[in-house]
Amino acid sequence: MISIETQLRDVQRVDLANLPEEDTELSINQLNLYYADKQALFDITMRIPKNQVTAFIGPSGCGKSTLLRCINRMNDLVDDCRIDGEVLLKQKNIYAKSVDVAALRRNIGMVFQRPNPFPKSIYENVIYGLRLQGIKDKRVLDEAAEKALRAAALWKEVKDRLNDSAFGLSGGQQQRLVIARAIAIEPQVLLLDEPTSALDPISTLTVEELITSLKEQYTVVIVTHNMQQAARVSDQTAFMYMGELIEYSDTNSLFTTPSKKQTEDYITGRYG
Amino acid sequence: MSSELTLSSNKSRKIKDKIARYGVTLGGLLVLAALLLIFFYLLYVVAPIFRSAEIHNQTSFNIPHQAQTLAIGVEEQVEIAYLFDDSSTARFFYVQTDNTKNQTAGQEIASIKLLDDHRVSTFAQSMAARKLYAYGFENGSALVVSPKFTTSFPNNIRHISADINYVTGQTPVEMDTQGHALTQLAVEKNMDSLYLVAATDDNRLLINSLSSEENFMTGEIEWSSDITEIEAIPHPISQIRLSSNLAYMFVLSGNHLFIYNIRDLTDISLIQDMDVNADDASVTTMSLLSGASSIMIGNDNGIISQWFEIRTEAGRQFVKAREFDNQHSVSQIVPEFYRKSFFTLSNDATVGIYFTTSDAELFNDRIQQGSIEHMSVAPRSNALLTQTDDSFHLFKVDNEHPEVTWKALWQKVWYEGYPEPDYVWQSTSADDEFESKFSLVPISFGTIKAAFYAMLFAVPIALAAAIYTAYFMSPGMRQTVKPTIEIMEALPTVILGFLAGLWLAPVIENNLPGVLMFLLLTPVGIVTAAYVWTFTPEKIRLSFRDGWDAVLLIPVVLVCAYISFALSPELEIWFFDGDTRAFLTNELGIGFDQRNSLVVGIAMGFAVIPTIFSIAEDAIFSVPKQLSNGSLALGATPWQTLTRVVLLTASPGIFSAVMMGLGRAVGETMIVLMATGNTPIMDWNIFEGMRTLSANIAVEMPESEVGSSHYRILFLAAFVLFIFTFLFNTVAEFVRQRLREKYSDL
Repeated sequence: MISIETQLRDVQRVDLANLPEEDTELSINQLNLYYADKQALFDITMRIPKNQVTAFIGPSGCGKSTLLRCINRMNDLVDDCRIDGEVLLKQKNIYAKSVDVAALRRNIGMVFQRPNPFPKSIYENVIYGLRLQGIKDKRVLDEAAEKALRAAALWKEVKDRLNDSAFGLSGGQQQRLVIARAIAIEPQVLLLDEPTSALDPISTLTVEELITSLKEQYTVVIVTHNMQQAARVSDQTAFMYMGELIEYSDTNSLFTTPSKKQTEDYITGRYG
Repeated sequence: MSSELTLSSNKSRKIKDKIARYGVTLGGLLVLAALLLIFFYLLYVVAPIFRSAEIHNQTSFNIPHQAQTLAIGVEEQVEIAYLFDDSSTARFFYVQTDNTKNQTAGQEIASIKLLDDHRVSTFAQSMAARKLYAYGFENGSALVVSPKFTTSFPNNIRHISADINYVTGQTPVEMDTQGHALTQLAVEKNMDSLYLVAATDDNRLLINSLSSEENFMTGEIEWSSDITEIEAIPHPISQIRLSSNLAYMFVLSGNHLFIYNIRDLTDISLIQDMDVNADDASVTTMSLLSGASSIMIGNDNGIISQWFEIRTEAGRQFVKAREFDNQHSVSQIVPEFYRKSFFTLSNDATVGIYFTTSDAELFNDRIQQGSIEHMSVAPRSNALLTQTDDSFHLFKVDNEHPEVTWKALWQKVWYEGYPEPDYVWQSTSADDEFESKFSLVPISFGTIKAAFYAMLFAVPIALAAAIYTAYFMSPGMRQTVKPTIEIMEALPTVILGFLAGLWLAPVIENNLPGVLMFLLLTPVGIVTAAYVWTFTPEKIRLSFRDGWDAVLLIPVVLVCAYISFALSPELEIWFFDGDTRAFLTNELGIGFDQRNSLVVGIAMGFAVIPTIFSIAEDAIFSVPKQLSNGSLALGATPWQTLTRVVLLTASPGIFSAVMMGLGRAVGETMIVLMATGNTPIMDWNIFEGMRTLSANIAVEMPESEVGSSHYRILFLAAFVLFIFTFLFNTVAEFVRQRLREKYSDL
């Protein structure tokens, strides 16, 4: 097994505790989440820096996906789900009454665990979000589609079959298509919920390279159960356990000098 | 664990697996076999109606010649034949050899001399079914006779004895008081009187109306005659015929036909005269079809034309309805006794069999060597007797279903007395001379019409309900709503039909404006209620759990219904002059039946809604959550997600739901039977009824004679229904597969 240390890269260190406002994309303040009577997230407070990749790791059921879904209010779709606290996007509370959920989600894109292309052509998949906004200009759509597909490193592979069904693509290609679809509407934040767990190693590598390149334009938050992946792609890593945020620091520090015992036990493979 | 142990423990599982596999395969094959069996049984019953006629020589025999034969005939059982010759003799003889009864073909039974000392100058025959024969004599008198057969069963063996019945007594009737020879003669009889029409050798045309009166004292029947002479007659007369109701007289002179109205003998009028020959041909013979409403004209170029009376702008007139081409010069036309078929005879022994209404040539071939002088069709049309000099031939005729052809079933047919060709389904009537009209078009149309209106009602409601239930409704409410709607499917359709016919139909009739208003008001009411709901204080809104707010629509619908029906009488007064039915009929020219398509649409819609709802709801509900989540995560509203992703993905299921509903609507019987009025008309009017294939079978099958054309056509209707549903299901399956390939490859 390749040790995690070898996967780490040199990253610019950020002081997460005292992150200046202009560098902060998201702030989560005292967030508690309940499913009916059961509390799933406990008092989460963290700041996610702009144009960086932040990873959430932790064992199954620790609440990392739930936390991710709080960021674009996907939890609203779950019956009996209740949230306290606030999530600020650029200093604006996304749980405020005046917020239009659809508009919010246009700014915070999300990619799921399994590739979920729509039963449409590759082209229609990519421009789906633009069509939702009522954009009809063929030139604008074509340009946006090409740009998104290039950004998702898929352009070369599909440029000759844009009108074929998206189901004809391989799993890795489908996942990159879904990422292209998410970035075609140019969100500010991109949420990735275990984006490579259903992919083979080679596709995983391609997607990881893609994630690294995306941070130049977007703030990326990724949930992964794969620590190597977190080490490879992220700048910050948050370790969660039983609904609590145990440790949150830059990736190098978290993996090399964890400050909490639970973190150390997890990254050394004692549980999880 | 050793490998042997593993093997032995698997053995029973293997056997079970095999049994299950074969059991399932067998079950599947049996279903297929049952389906094929139905298919082939239907075909087996239907097939005979499309067979053409066949003629086979049965026996040939000789009767020694005594005098010139004038006419021949066969009795109903095809045991005895008779001939009338110009020595005024009627001869009876067996036509079939039957050793058990000691009968040989050609054996003479009786020879009856009808009259002495009269020289025969002409001979006439009535419509085949009446079996009247008339001799015309040189002294201006005529004799009407009829062969008489009595059947008895001594020792349980059928014995038929033959005799002659002197219809107007044994003494000839005096036709011409001046005593001129009769050159042409016609005879016909109805309930009250017997008409003899004769042309004399000095060109006069005389009608003798004979009426009988029973003498109270002696019990004898006395005939009184009343002779009328017709002025200005055509010359020369080649043939005279009388219609069976004694209303018309047809006089053929060369190629010209004169039609006289003789209903009132004191006021005989020529109502029509015209050339009836085919182009570049001359008329050879004229005959009346069974029922005697149609005139058949034979030409020397083989064209046979049919003429009958229709209502035209210029009053009732005889027109040419259709032509048959025999290719051989027609010398005789012999109509069948009871059907609208006729036989043609040409000089070279070519016989043709035709059915008029179905336009069918059933047979056209030479049946024997030489030529045929006389030909007669047996009363049941199952035999044909021909005569040439001394030799007679008896032919067996196989012609069970001449009235049915593919063309007659599916194209417009010009029936006797109809102003123009039309699609008609009318299988029975009280009238003896009635001709069954079997067009499958009106009842197929009815099936489609009923299904169309049912779908018009059911599809929007069922699909909207399915979408709401699967996509918006709270899970708790869905658990109540879905099984409730699905259990509606178990409601016996006879109850729905009963309610529709006896309760709904009168309600709709009495509150027609209300019903129409309800159909318009409800959607408007629902949308308005939803709009108002968004303005209600949040406190009230939040007191309903997500998805339960739909319950609020129940009072909305009830209020709409109440308003509609309460306003119905006022609406009727304001808009429809107080009587909607009269308004529709008089002002808009739209017919209104109480049991109409609207009633059927609603009732059958109710039967179809659960089918469509259930399948469509499943399809929408089973769209993967990751797809709708994916769409929502891209900033789509729930409505955008529904219309752009969910419905698209569920489209194969929704499509098959609609097709299953359509299949059900097409095959539905009880509701249409009880709520449509079963009138086989062809009209899309929503306020009129229809008759569907299935209802038609249900209504008529119990009263149809097994093996008859009617019976077989009902089976054909069943077969068409089978094909309809088969077609719908196949198309549905095909489209569904294509959609599935395209949209749900996940």
